[in-house]
Amino acid sequence: MTDPFRKARNTYKNTPIPKELDRLVDQALQTSPRKRRWPQRSLVGIAAAAAIFAGTVNMSPTVAEAMAKWPVIGDVVKTITFAEVEMEEKKASFQATSPDIQGGDSALAAQLNEQYIEENKQLYNEFMSELDTLEKNETAHLAVDSGYNIVTDTPQILSIHRYVVEMRGSSAQTNQYDTIDKENEMLITLPSLFTDHSYIEAISESIKQQMKAQMAADENKTYWLEDDDMTEPFQQIDDDHTFYITESHQLVIVFDDYEVAPGYMGSVEFTIPTEAIDHLLVSNAYIR
Amino acid sequence: MKNTPVRQTLVSAVHQYKEDMYRLAFSYVKNQADALDVVQSSIEKALKSVQRLQQIEAMKSWLLTIVVRTSLDILRKQTKVTVLEEEAFTSYGREDRYPDLDLIEAIDALPIKYRSIIILRFFEDFKIHEIAHMLEENENTVKSRLYKALKLLRVSLSEEDIGQ
Repeated sequence: MTDPFRKARNTYKNTPIPKELDRLVDQALQTSPRKRRWPQRSLVGIAAAAAIFAGTVNMSPTVAEAMAKWPVIGDVVKTITFAEVEMEEKKASFQATSPDIQGGDSALAAQLNEQYIEENKQLYNEFMSELDTLEKNETAHLAVDSGYNIVTDTPQILSIHRYVVEMRGSSAQTNQYDTIDKENEMLITLPSLFTDHSYIEAISESIKQQMKAQMAADENKTYWLEDDDMTEPFQQIDDDHTFYITESHQLVIVFDDYEVAPGYMGSVEFTIPTEAIDHLLVSNAYIR
Repeated sequence: MKNTPVRQTLVSAVHQYKEDMYRLAFSYVKNQADALDVVQSSIEKALKSVQRLQQIEAMKSWLLTIVVRTSLDILRKQTKVTVLEEEAFTSYGREDRYPDLDLIEAIDALPIKYRSIIILRFFEDFKIHEIAHMLEENENTVKSRLYKALKLLRVSLSEEDIGQ
């Protein structure tokens, strides 16, 4: 069959190229890259290094027994390497590490650890079944990297950040955070911090203000705030939105890649000023 | 940071694909000045985030993705953009067969969300799943927009030509 787009494609390919293009490209390439806003790849190195002794933690009964004597949950977090797969000929790789919270006989720690392993297992199965669909000489160009990072570790609070980076040409990162009250062995949820649901609006408003302020200050920043036919504007956070608590007792709300901003912005975080939510908090135990 | 291997690869990829980047930008913003702007800020964005890129084989699609998104950002900022309503468009004569020149005009007149997909699929030869990723949409949305676009253009293609 004849290609109906042949002529249109030729016209497209013959779009006149202005002679300024070369110079502009050279200039743009000479600007040195700005510092990235958050450390990302470095986490993997830490996780990999920790993985070396995690193996021994798993196997040795003596070490396991010693672990049981830890006084409080989350004093130590060990790394478990779930799987590392490298398929050169398929251009595919999979790497996953899970945190293993040492909590003696704490039910919460056991439950979270199990969940972490389970999620990596699922990720691995998805990865393998995707590779199964490939033809013999087809390549996947797929890299999955799952790991974690301890965001906050104080005597009172442990916040663990787990991330999954999927790379198919460009990369997309999803994030999960768990924040634990070590003293009371409780998982802190966003709604549990507040007396009623009005926090959703208060936090969302604060985020919108910050988005506007950031865009006004730096034209390289873009958030989806306005309604148009191409993207959904940010309206409000979910009631159990991803969050963590910093060492200095601030609440931070996190958005995944593409959730509220174009891909080049990556995952974005907003620290919510405590005065914006202070009147809604159950107490100042965690946030102040 | 300045001369990491991945950065060098980016520099040579930009040289190799700069014309593709410009053409694609032009197809969105429709004028030389804005298209050059898009290329320039796309390169800046690419330099900023290249360390996150793992597969340098896919550099072309990555660069063009940045161009698409930057172009869309610029269009979003220019409220003056005129998008021909679907209604107006379909009121063209129903049975007419369009000669090629009209097809080009018809593509230009498509709403951006349809035009993007036609350009990426048939002019730049990307696969549906790649386009889905570039436009941050799911594959089914891209597919149904592609069918809709072809219908608006009154072009019929076999399943095979529409591609994956």
